[in-house]
Parts: sequence; structure tokens; C-alpha cells
Amino acid sequence: MSTTLGDAVRPGRSARPRRSTTELAQQAPRWQKLFATELAARIAAVLAFAVFWVVLSAVFARVPGPIAVVANLIDEFARGEVFGNFGVTLYRFGIGVVLALVAGTAVGVLMGLSQLSRAFLESPVLVGLSMPAIIWSFLTVMWFGFGDLSPIVTTFLTAVPFVVLNVFQGVRGISRDLRDMSASYGVPFTRQVRELVLPAVTGFVATGARYAVLMGWNGVLLAEWFGGSGGVGYRARYWYDANQFAGFAAWVVLFIAFIVALDRLVFDPLVTRAFRWRDAR
Amino acid sequence: MTLLSTSQRSGDPEREALQAARHRRWKRLAVLALGWLAMLAVWEYASWWFGSRLMPRPYAVLMAAYQIVADGSFFTDFTASVLKTFAGFAVAIVIGAPIGYLMGRHAFWRAFFQDGITVAGTIPAIVYAVMSLIIFGLSNLGPTLAVALVSIPYIALNVAEGIRGVDRSLIEMSEAFGRSPRQIRQEVLIPTLVPYVFVAIRMCFAVAWKVEALTEVFGGRSGVGFQIRTEYQLFDISAVLAWTLLFIAFMLVIERLVLAKSEAHLLAWRPQERNAL
Repeated sequence: MSTTLGDAVRPGRSARPRRSTTELAQQAPRWQKLFATELAARIAAVLAFAVFWVVLSAVFARVPGPIAVVANLIDEFARGEVFGNFGVTLYRFGIGVVLALVAGTAVGVLMGLSQLSRAFLESPVLVGLSMPAIIWSFLTVMWFGFGDLSPIVTTFLTAVPFVVLNVFQGVRGISRDLRDMSASYGVPFTRQVRELVLPAVTGFVATGARYAVLMGWNGVLLAEWFGGSGGVGYRARYWYDANQFAGFAAWVVLFIAFIVALDRLVFDPLVTRAFRWRDAR
Repeated sequence: MTLLSTSQRSGDPEREALQAARHRRWKRLAVLALGWLAMLAVWEYASWWFGSRLMPRPYAVLMAAYQIVADGSFFTDFTASVLKTFAGFAVAIVIGAPIGYLMGRHAFWRAFFQDGITVAGTIPAIVYAVMSLIIFGLSNLGPTLAVALVSIPYIALNVAEGIRGVDRSLIEMSEAFGRSPRQIRQEVLIPTLVPYVFVAIRMCFAVAWKVEALTEVFGGRSGVGFQIRTEYQLFDISAVLAWTLLFIAFMLVIERLVLAKSEAHLLAWRPQERNAL
């Protein structure tokens, strides 16, 4: 840590002739420039992660190495366990998240528009935000038994407060001035909704949906882990209970890949698009 | 007409405004209390619907919570959980702050860590919990590791943000006046970074606290989560809910009072930050 930020702005300390940073950059050899690109950094990160994983599995006997995990993953595909379990989980997860989005958006809009409903709903939302997902999964498994209902309800209950919070912030963020102005210039209501309220809120609904997916995924996994009625969480637990950590890790890789793909391919573009009125330069 | 009467009462518009504000505040408080009452009502209804064995009534849960506080297990188990959480934060700062420093300083390292950190932010909590258990088995290290893993992305991102926000002219000036790099680090860099680290901790406290409890549920030997699992296995649901109640109350108190207060204290020297947060 001997370099401070100041070194960059204080050339001329050394005896060498002073050069601008562009000159210095141009002077660097070709291979060095190649290694400093962003792509090289990303490739290096992947390699570093692989090395880290191998070292970790060598140090801790219980941690499975990458090869064992890939082998288990292929086995699991060959057994035909992957698609059925994923389908079951996606069905529960999808219903829960969609319900949470609908209910959360309605409640969030209500809270944003009326002071009294905000005061009324504030504490339930706060408690919902701080409730651990595992308690919901314990309770719903007891209430609804080992079926589809308990994962669905757990997903819904863990996701809904986050949707409410985001939509509420969006509605509250609608510029009061713009609302007043459009009212005094007699802008028709439908146009107000289309050009003022909707653009302001969609971005927050998209962000809320993203949170709902992240939180709901955790909820559905927990409920399946304790519920034992098929699905990704159940299958992961099956391997965990059998002390086959490579099998467990194979499922972890699968569902992390799924959630990352969902986040990157669906929600990143969606949120960027919905917020383009705000972030565009 | 009202306008006339107020001006005739020879003008205490200030007092009337105060009165109106007080009235509004009371109304708000009343509605707030109504919100809590509604929650209790929903709870009562649920325990009637599912039966008090599957969903104990609020009163029974409150008594169980009182029991837990009275017999001292509240204190021992919460201390255990809090210590593990803060140990996790310490580990996260030791690892996350240098990562954030590199990310803030060099484009190469930013590209290097960016993907990993965004992926780490999307991994569900259950993965962290079970992974920590696989690595460390049943011990106090598991929850600590889980908290650290969850917090590192937050801390790294915030420190990177902070490094980018350091006032360069301050550094130039201190160099012009011949301060040593060590002095610059201590007097300029670290004071700028501390608030960012603190904001990161406050941001991830709720997440970390939940992950800590979750890890204890899966395999802890002490702490809140351990108690929740034990009571669940004994099928004593009112005790499970009592621990949950205390868990939530504790979290809200720490978040709203302790962290918010000390953050305001730490950020007092830069009012614009305080207002922005």
C-alpha cells in the first residue's frame, strides 16, 4: 500500500524526463497492453476462481473439487433428475413471484398515493422485510403440508415486502411539480398516466421484480428443503443428507447459473430499459 | 368565512399551524397503531384458522418471549449471535476493503472483480449457509464465514465507490505541503473511507443477521438460529415464534437506533453526505 493516489499526479520526482500518461501508455509493450484489457481481466478472474476452488478442495477434505462436481452434474443429467425437478420448482416459484408482483405493486401504489394508508401499512411491511425466510418455510410446511402450496406461499411472502418497498419509492418519486403542472395546464388524465406515472413507476416495478426473484428463489429453495416434495431444494438436500457434497454442489452450480442468467439476461436489460428516461445521457 | 374568522382572532397563524401539525401527527400515530393492531388481528385469525397448535396465539407467544428473556437465555444466545455476526463483519472488512481499494484505483482490477461480486450478490442465502457448514462443520466458524461471504460484496463495492470519491485536490495539497504517504493515508484516505464502510455494514446488516441465523438453523451450536431449530424439532411452535419475535425486534432496534445514530455521528463532518443518505 505504499502507493498513494498522489503518485499519479506528481510526476518528475524521478530523474527520468517527464512524460504524459498517454505517452507512457503508448510506450508499454504490446503484450502488456493486451494483458491490461478488460477481457483479459475477466479471463484472469475466471482462471483465478478455478485455481481458488482447486486449492480450497485440496485444503478442506469435505469441499468437492470442480471435476467431481462436473461429473456429478453429468450423472444427474443422465439420470433425468434435472428437468423434472427444475420444472416443479419453476412452477411454484413462478406463481409465487407473479402473485407477489401483482399484490406488491397494488399495495406500493396505494402507499405512495395516500398518507394514511402509508402510515397503516408501514409497520407490516417493515416486519415483513425483517422476517427470515426460514420461519415462513417452517410455518407454511406445517400449515399446508408437503405439497405445492407451501413453496408457493413462502415465495410469495418473502418476495412481497421488497416489491412493495420499491414500488412505493417509485410512486413517491414522481415529481410533484410535474404533476401540478400537468394538472394546471389541463393535460388529460390518460396522458398524465401514460407519460408521467407509468414511466416513473415501471423502472421501480422492474427493480422490485428483480428483488422478488432473488428473495423468492431463496424462499422456494428453503421451503423445498424442509418440505420434501420434489424440486431443486429437495434434490439438493437429498445429496446433502447423503453426505455427497459433490452432488449438492452440482445442484448449487445449476441453480446459481439459473439465477445469474435470469438476472443478467432478463432483469438487467429490463431495468435499464425501464429507467432509460432517467439514466440516458 | 374561516379565513375571516382567523384574521379576526388577530392572527395566530403560527399557533394554528402548529396545532394542525400536532393534529396530523396524532392522526398518523393513531393509524400507525392501527397497523400494528391489524397485524395482531390477522395473527389471531390465522391461529383460529390453523389451530393454536400450528399457529400459536399472540398472547402465548408473548408469554414465551417473556420466559426467554426472564430465564436469561435471551442474553446468552443473542450475545453469541451478535459476536458471530460482528466477527463476520471484521473478516469481510479485512478481505473486502482491499478488494474495494483495488477496484477503485485500477480499471483492470475493477474488471477482474466486477463479475464475481455481482454474481456473489445474487446467490441465495441458503447456499452460503450450507456451504459454510460443509467447510467448517458444526462450529462457530460456519456462521461467521457465511456473514463474511454475504458482506464482502457490499463492503468492496462501497469502498470502491469511496476511493473514487476521494477528493484528489486534498491529496495534492497535502503532498505540496510535504506530508508523508502514511500521514495522507491516515488523515485523508481513511477518514473518507470509514463512512463508506459503515454505510456498507448498515446496508448489509439485515441480510447478514438473517444469514447468520439461517446458518445456525442448519448447523449451529449456539445462538438464535440454534434455538429456533431446537424448538422446531421439539415442535414447540410458540417458542419458535417467540425467538423470531425477539430476533426481529432486536434487528429493528440495532438498525434503527444503534447503526443509524452512530452513522449520523460518523458522518457529522460532511453534511452533504448526511443529507444524501
